[in-house]
Amino acid sequence: MTDGLTPDEEDSVLAAEYALGLLTQAEADAFEQRLAVDPGFRAQYARWTTHFTALMENVAPVAPPARVLTAIKAQLWPTPERSLWSRIGILPALAGAALAAVVVLGLLNLDRFTAGPVVPEYTAAIAAEDQSLIVMASFDVETGALLLERTTGAVAADRSQELWLIVPDAAAPISLGLLSEEDVTTIVPPEDLAGVIAGATLAISDEPPGGSPTGAPTTVLAVGAVRDA
Amino acid sequence: MALGDKAAFTALYSATSAKLFGVSLRVLNNRAEAEEVLQEVYIKIWHSAARYQVNGLSPMSWLITIARNQSIDRLRKRRARHDGLDEAAELPDARPGPEALAMAGSDRARIVACMAKLEADRADAVRRAYVEGETYAELADRYSVPLNTIRTWLRRSLIKLKECLST
Repeated sequence: MTDGLTPDEEDSVLAAEYALGLLTQAEADAFEQRLAVDPGFRAQYARWTTHFTALMENVAPVAPPARVLTAIKAQLWPTPERSLWSRIGILPALAGAALAAVVVLGLLNLDRFTAGPVVPEYTAAIAAEDQSLIVMASFDVETGALLLERTTGAVAADRSQELWLIVPDAAAPISLGLLSEEDVTTIVPPEDLAGVIAGATLAISDEPPGGSPTGAPTTVLAVGAVRDA
Repeated sequence: MALGDKAAFTALYSATSAKLFGVSLRVLNNRAEAEEVLQEVYIKIWHSAARYQVNGLSPMSWLITIARNQSIDRLRKRRARHDGLDEAAELPDARPGPEALAMAGSDRARIVACMAKLEADRADAVRRAYVEGETYAELADRYSVPLNTIRTWLRRSLIKLKECLST
């Protein structure tokens, strides 16, 4: 390089070029080798990198869809197969709540569901025993989309609501992701679940922000059986 | 920042994913790709958390850098496929907004204030390299100058930036 730069300036510029991604592969490899052994060099690179990240300061945060976290968790921590019956704590609560929900379902007016797919083939009214939380769900088999609308209740402050699919005879409840804090959430479950949604049960649990820390429902708030529309 | 357990990671995601998703969207201008990249970013964060302590970056700078780098990699792959169609070339907010320039006194916005002291096209080139991942070859094309010229321009500009940043 003959730009008339001093060796110190050369080093600094190299660190900046690396941070900007302007080096060739060979130059970048050589740089990384120096980075590994030279703490002063590392400090220079850290300073440039920190300065450049400020160029992202005005970038507005955008909440990513729930499926991203679901996918990340599935990739990092695939859940082992476990018998539903081993979750003794949840089942009695679900069974009792489901019974109450069935009674409530008969009284709910599905016409209040304002934003459904054109031809929902399966619906569920996911309701709390005391009706403090009601989420209407419709599943469109063609698009594979599950549309959820919270018609009563809200997400508690500093908490999240996670949606679970409970398939009879199957393993643990399957997380379908977090419900939006807005009233309407669209979730596209993995294709292999689409076939078992009919006849399954949907449940909503109360979780810390980001969803269940254990991969299983923490506190079940509401349940609803999926039935033909 | 011990990321050895799921709860801490999930809390980190909750606190930072919107900002990093914003960064990916800014670079890629494509929601589907940004979602895929965001997933890759957090997988990377989980796996490289142990290395965080030795690199001297603040937590947020480290996270933004991973998100920016992963997004730029994806953007460059897309450009290589399309070979000439540069979808991200004319993003409207490529220049710092007035509020950014007004923050001249604050430590974190020093780069913006210092870039404002460069000639407009030099500052633009630095910004394009960082935010759009443009290479020397692409920048040379954009400014219709030989490769060596754009390298010299940019390297001299980086020296000026360094001087400004260390005052």
